[in-house]
Amino acid sequence: MSQAPLPETDWDLTRPFWQAAKESEFVMPRCAGCERYVWYPEEQCPHCGAGDVLWVQVEGRGLLFSWAEVRHPLHPPYKNQLPYITGIVALEVDPRVHYVTRIVECTTSELAIEMPMEVVYRELSFHEVEGAVVAPVFRPVA
Amino acid sequence: MNQDEAWGTAGTIEDVSGQVAIVGVGDAIYQRASGKNGVELAIEATERALADSGLAPGDIDGIMVTPYMGAQLDADAYRAHFGTEQEIWMSNEGGAMTWAATAPAVAAAAIREGKASAILNLFAVDWFSQKGSDSDEGPGKFHGQERMKANFELPHGWFPQPVYFATIARRHMWQYGTREEDLGALAVTCRRHANGHPDAITRDRTLSLDEYLARPMMVDPLRMEDCCLISDGGGAYIMTSVERARDLAKPLVVVEGVSDGYSNSGAYWSQQGNFTASPQVYSAPKAFEMAGLVPSDVDVLTLYDPFSIVALMQIEDMGFCEKGGASEFVAGTNLQYDSPGLAYNTHGGLLSHAYVLGISHVNEIVRQLRGEAANQVSDANVGVYGGYTGHMASTLILKSGS
Repeated sequence: MSQAPLPETDWDLTRPFWQAAKESEFVMPRCAGCERYVWYPEEQCPHCGAGDVLWVQVEGRGLLFSWAEVRHPLHPPYKNQLPYITGIVALEVDPRVHYVTRIVECTTSELAIEMPMEVVYRELSFHEVEGAVVAPVFRPVA
Repeated sequence: MNQDEAWGTAGTIEDVSGQVAIVGVGDAIYQRASGKNGVELAIEATERALADSGLAPGDIDGIMVTPYMGAQLDADAYRAHFGTEQEIWMSNEGGAMTWAATAPAVAAAAIREGKASAILNLFAVDWFSQKGSDSDEGPGKFHGQERMKANFELPHGWFPQPVYFATIARRHMWQYGTREEDLGALAVTCRRHANGHPDAITRDRTLSLDEYLARPMMVDPLRMEDCCLISDGGGAYIMTSVERARDLAKPLVVVEGVSDGYSNSGAYWSQQGNFTASPQVYSAPKAFEMAGLVPSDVDVLTLYDPFSIVALMQIEDMGFCEKGGASEFVAGTNLQYDSPGLAYNTHGGLLSHAYVLGISHVNEIVRQLRGEAANQVSDANVGVYGGYTGHMASTLILKSGS
């Protein structure tokens, strides 16, 4: 039995993220009180415990924190994508925010940790899984 | 982040040094489908631990399990199987993983308070048998169903666990100059130990460093050989007071230190405040302090090693070498049982012995300290087990008694 890797686009806590992605916008949840980003999203700010958490548009830029290239079929829905690169980008707006992302439009030989990355929007679909989703993913800055 | 900033905390386990002993150990290891369910595997391990200790089934008056995964053996199932009628105290704070290290502290309190006097801690899984089936509760499913991971990690292919640890390994390599050969040294050490261990799943398959380096990447920079096995199996150990242990069959092995440590940045690997360290940074110093020992006193070390990089980080974070120094510390044959370095995972670990999530790691320490291990370390008096589950780590220090 395999877990389908499509996000829940109708979950209140995450809906704004996926709606924005559809419009090619990159948004992050931020506490209106202490102004820290709250990633992953939570209803209450875990940092100050007080403020409302609101989604704000942010620059889709950051530094490559780390990455891995998946070459072996570990999870059946990814089977049609092998090999693929996935990793973490530490966002420029706050490097403590680690955005897990596909890394696209490059080969591993072009990658180096701490290199600048930028967002692009790509439709993700999976082997024997119905449906697709537009997701913010990252590529090296040209 | 600033590496000097506190990113975790030590737990609150009280001093239990010198109070309890491990008096019986038993394993039930299967390479392939065992034809048994988890409870039957737990019973088999229990029967072996009882035989090892010289205690009778009716002597056990406490059972510790983990409620989170693997098989449960409750009081009724125990009594039904063994045909006994005693009262049995139950605890959900036992099992494998980090709990294989911390169960003795819980047992010490139970013995002190008169709740139990001979306590069985056990863990068993039938994950090989379940592989691919609808009831598969194997290691990936738990993570895949976690809602934030399902929403923000699975779409990007950052799943399952080998992907987390490949990403950690890459950063560790960048940060500290760790090499593929260093991860390979851990895999080769585990395999050589398994080759000398009658229970180990890979006992018949050798692995040299050259062979390791020639193997394909599974999730670059990790190879299949950097990842744990999937198997059926179980393990159990029995604890009593030190006083009672002196009258039992086997040489005395005393619990001298128990501790745990926690990351403050939640349970997601992707969001850890210190991505290339384990909470052993916060756990291990406390256990060593409790035991009145230092890392250089340790003769044999077993580490929860779902991936080679997890062991490498723990070696650094427990203070066996400085942070970033593991590359040199683990090199070549340094960690092999008959080398002058620190003997590590002398049964083969999760990489090469079996995937019973750490309980056999504790059993192996006990056998080493008794002088009855397959790959016996000479003059082994102090042994340590390090447990790990991402945002949690734990440390158990055992010493041969006199």
